[in-house]
Amino acid sequence: MTEPSITVRAFFERVRAGQLVAIRCESCGELAIPPKELCPKCGARAWRQEPLGGDGTIASYTVIRVAPRAHAGEAPYALAVVALKEGVSVLGRIVDIPLESLAVGLPVRFRPRIASDHQASIGFGPA
Amino acid sequence: MRRVAVIGVGVTKFGLHDRTSAELFAEAGADALADAGIPASAVQALYYGNVVGGETEHQLHTGPQAASVLGIPSVPTTRFETACASSHAAFRHAVMEIAAGVSDVVMVGGAERVLNVSTAESTEYFAYASDAVWEQPLGLTFPGVFALIARAHMQKYGTTEAQMAAVAVKNHKHGALNPKAQFQKQITIEQVLKSAYVADPLKLFDCCPFSDGGAALVLASEEVARRHRKPVWVLASAAASDWMLLGDKRDLSRVPATERAAAAAYRQAGLGPHDVDVVELHDCFTIAEIVATEGLGLFEAGAGGRAAEEGRTSLGGEIPVNPSGGLKAKGHPIGATGAAQIAEIVTQLRGEAGPRQVDGARKGLTHTLGGNTATVLVSLFGRD
Repeated sequence: MTEPSITVRAFFERVRAGQLVAIRCESCGELAIPPKELCPKCGARAWRQEPLGGDGTIASYTVIRVAPRAHAGEAPYALAVVALKEGVSVLGRIVDIPLESLAVGLPVRFRPRIASDHQASIGFGPA
Repeated sequence: MRRVAVIGVGVTKFGLHDRTSAELFAEAGADALADAGIPASAVQALYYGNVVGGETEHQLHTGPQAASVLGIPSVPTTRFETACASSHAAFRHAVMEIAAGVSDVVMVGGAERVLNVSTAESTEYFAYASDAVWEQPLGLTFPGVFALIARAHMQKYGTTEAQMAAVAVKNHKHGALNPKAQFQKQITIEQVLKSAYVADPLKLFDCCPFSDGGAALVLASEEVARRHRKPVWVLASAAASDWMLLGDKRDLSRVPATERAAAAAYRQAGLGPHDVDVVELHDCFTIAEIVATEGLGLFEAGAGGRAAEEGRTSLGGEIPVNPSGGLKAKGHPIGATGAAQIAEIVTQLRGEAGPRQVDGARKGLTHTLGGNTATVLVSLFGRD
């Protein structure tokens, strides 16, 4: 069995430490957000980790006003799909940006987000 | 492969019920058998859709449970879960069982009960259909998923909140003609635009409701179907999937799974979008209807909002969409939705839809989307 490129657990440990990590296919060069066992482009099973800079722009965003039970006390809050400079996209929670100044194309920068239950997740703050 | 027909349909009223999902399915199932004019003993298998039974009713193993409550405990049952597309996925597999010659009569059903829990609770359970590691911890909701799609569509094509509101107004107008619909009253553009934001830019009246309800279909091989009144033929049934994570979807203004499932269904049937007379599609949010009309090829990419605003998708328009009222007004008991959409198209093609009848409808299409756009089913139907 080959070692997984990066486990979800290891990915979020890196997030906690302030680092966003992608995986690059050593066969065709495709960049992806883990975990993926096979390259969706060429089918190879040969990933290596590649740290991302964390800079990107908002591709789309929303302000959640009716939240799921676990997040009820946090609304309103914004979520955005961020197109990272390296070419992959990821969903994150917007932090420290006034909701009314959100816009498609707004430059943002990765911020680790640690929830009250200590779970790490992806955040984006001002560039 | 053998031809397959729908020979019986049954749908409960959608809305608040003080009954279990299995009871709701059983009512629809018995109605479908009566509609088909065949005894329960003729049913050889049950394909069943149910999504959050484990959460809202503490009920798993819902296939045999539903079959037991209907009174057909000994047939093989399988429960399908593809989020909101569950009973359409069940339908596709039932079609394949008959087409392959394994069975001659198969029931497809689905039911859901969610109005017995709070909105915050059901919002959480529905969000389980997004990714538990990458998306749920961020507080993503289903209105949130479609809000992200809406924003991308507005940015790319200039789609407006008023165009989305036009979808809600149209579907409520249709729903007012459907005695089984959860909402049977008309609304105005102003009411939609003034309703509170749920997930910007989507407002309360852009969203379908939480609903309880059940639906069932009786499917039969050609040989059996020929002995029954007005069989409606299954011309195609296709499924497609897409990346689970929103971040992995390259263009949020589109639903590639809709485009792929539609292409496969049109190919199977040897038809194109302009051969279709009536459509029941997945309008869980108003933007979802706009994007679906584009993905199904009814309108060019980016033209769906304008088409809705111009009345081209209304009853009496060039291609009526959601004459039942759609998920928006008829309601959306998620496990039942796919089967209920098919029941509406069968009713339309039989010419039995009363005041919401699409005149002369001969070919119909159903489109059901699961969760975060990662599952789509498209089926095509025709009458003799």
